[in-house]
Amino acid sequence: MDETVAEYIRRTVLKIPRDEIKMVLQKWGFLSEAQLQTLNFHQMKDSISQEIVQLCEENSADIKQAAVLDIIYNHIYQDKRIWSVYQMKKSGEELEYFDITDFKKKFKRRIRSALKNVTITFKEYEDNAIWIRVAWGTPHKKPNQYKPSYVVYHSQTPYVFISASVLKSNMPLLCQALIVASNYRDIREMELRSHSLNSLKDIVFKTYSQNFQTYTTKPLQEGNVEPENADIRIVQENRSEKERIYRLTQEVFGSGPQPKLEFAQYKLETMFKSDPKMDVLDKKEPFRCLVKFSSPHLLESLKSLAPAGMADAPLSPLLTCIPHKARNYFKIREKKGSVPESFVSP
Amino acid sequence: MAAGRAPARGPTGGEFERRRRAVAAMAEEAQEDGATRTLPSLRRLSRALPFGRTHGRLGTSSSGRPVVSALCSQESVDPEKTAFLLRKSWTLYSVTPLYRFRRARLRDYGRLLSAFIAAEKQKGLAVEVGVELDIKVALSSLAELRGSELDQAALLVQLSSRSQASSRNSEDKPVWLGWFCSVFGDDLSENLPEDFTSLPLFLSHGAESYTALVGSWFQKTFDCCFRRLAISPQNLSWMVAMWAGCKLDRAASAVELIFSVPGLAQPLDISYAIHPEDAKALWDTVQKTPGEITQEEVDVFMDCLYAHFHRHFKIHLSAAKLVKVSTAVASAHCNGIVKILHSQYLPGVLMLLTELAISQIQ
Repeated sequence: MDETVAEYIRRTVLKIPRDEIKMVLQKWGFLSEAQLQTLNFHQMKDSISQEIVQLCEENSADIKQAAVLDIIYNHIYQDKRIWSVYQMKKSGEELEYFDITDFKKKFKRRIRSALKNVTITFKEYEDNAIWIRVAWGTPHKKPNQYKPSYVVYHSQTPYVFISASVLKSNMPLLCQALIVASNYRDIREMELRSHSLNSLKDIVFKTYSQNFQTYTTKPLQEGNVEPENADIRIVQENRSEKERIYRLTQEVFGSGPQPKLEFAQYKLETMFKSDPKMDVLDKKEPFRCLVKFSSPHLLESLKSLAPAGMADAPLSPLLTCIPHKARNYFKIREKKGSVPESFVSP
Repeated sequence: MAAGRAPARGPTGGEFERRRRAVAAMAEEAQEDGATRTLPSLRRLSRALPFGRTHGRLGTSSSGRPVVSALCSQESVDPEKTAFLLRKSWTLYSVTPLYRFRRARLRDYGRLLSAFIAAEKQKGLAVEVGVELDIKVALSSLAELRGSELDQAALLVQLSSRSQASSRNSEDKPVWLGWFCSVFGDDLSENLPEDFTSLPLFLSHGAESYTALVGSWFQKTFDCCFRRLAISPQNLSWMVAMWAGCKLDRAASAVELIFSVPGLAQPLDISYAIHPEDAKALWDTVQKTPGEITQEEVDVFMDCLYAHFHRHFKIHLSAAKLVKVSTAVASAHCNGIVKILHSQYLPGVLMLLTELAISQIQ
């Protein structure tokens, strides 16, 4: 067995939490059940990885099997990567029968015609997802197995999820191969990124439970304990204000759980509008800012801003449009020759 | 009282005099307020205005020249000699005056501290100090780092390890760095009883276990007291306003404010980064008082930024917590960790931090 293959398998195993190594190897299916029985999982990870490499040696593993192991690892621990959504466009509306063999053949052919030194590996999953791993080389160098690109494609949909290699120069070639293989005309990045591949799928496939009920007249349940002899009018006012915020929040975000995104970014090139009384910065040039929101669960935290009194209700469309527009990267400019209070994003 | 002190201070440059006048003016004002305390910085505290009015120091002087650059040229800080202090994360502490500290005994102190560290390690009290068994301690003075001649020269403590395997010719590996300093900290030093040395600001870089060891040795030896120096959101806004207004020759990095929003279903952090030219343009129109910066100006600056943000996102940043500011001059986190990025403004930043340390001590 090639030494680089052995080392690659060893390093991949080292990335897996010890308790889960066996499960990953079972999914891989390259080592027999009998071989797995011989492994001692109660020792240091380093020793486990050595034993595994030994067994792979016996089965004479090559880079193809090692690459499959890597896909399995990334499928299980997909939240470790950052995924970007790409959308493809057709010339017509015709639906074609999707042939996976044909797809693979065309994809490989397109990439190999430009670059011989590549490792291309496919793995199909039950949910119609095809995972593609491409390790890139150069005309004179073998593929770098440690910096591959990962592509997740759902046939019959125009969406592709890519976790790009740091070797960015190969991106155009990868995109070309994708449209050639899937019979599309064009591909573009959607400016939607997240660690959570599943949430991205939810957003673009619109499967998250966003209900657009215009009126949810359900009164507030939580914590509505009013002091007994408080002014009834104030209590009433507070309650109706709370209900208004609650209703507006439900309208915009729906009542279900939000898809998981970790960040949103806005490049603002808008005018600085100051209070004339303040007599500050009166410039005709845009005020350049970059605003980033980050949270373990961005949409849930945005949803709770107005109820927590940290924001107006309804929240700015710039924030609430994230799931509808299916993007979390924006460039905001002043709308030309119109109401000063509105913005447009290209 | 203030007028009586001025001549005793000896020959100093114009900028320094200007600053003294500012302090003197403030002292007078404070007396009008009816304050009866004697230390100027206490008056400052009583005004609930952390950096006081004297912060004209960092703004532009009446001649339109940044005061800090004037400070630099006056004290002739050699950028080479202080370069190692830049672009490192420093954890801040305030330190009460050292008792019976003798500058001439630095070598002895180094030996004693080294022995102390070795003994503590033997006891096994120091956690995670690891394999570096032989720790070399060097104490030295950094005369470049002070504001006026009333300030003590900064004191540098360097810990380095000699790996056992490669004995003699291998170089010592630096493992920890700390320094005491006072830049225009004379509010504290001039009222000290004899035998006390005022170096109110302590900055450390490296494993906390070493900070704890060095700190406890100093505490034991000089009867002083270390406390972590946190920076309040209000002080952070002062810093970002002042630093946003600093003139920088080269392409500067953005003026960034980082907020955390409390009380949500999920934690939320907001980074608000402003192009340095635009932030400076805004500050320059806000900052109107010649030679000084006022609380009101800082408030207006922040309110303007909040209003611009609200116009886009409908979020009230004023209700969020400002946790970190970063500019081309320096960055500061509310938990008391700073990074100084620009040698030209090193004295200016240290002056602010000295002042914070002094108000914590008092």
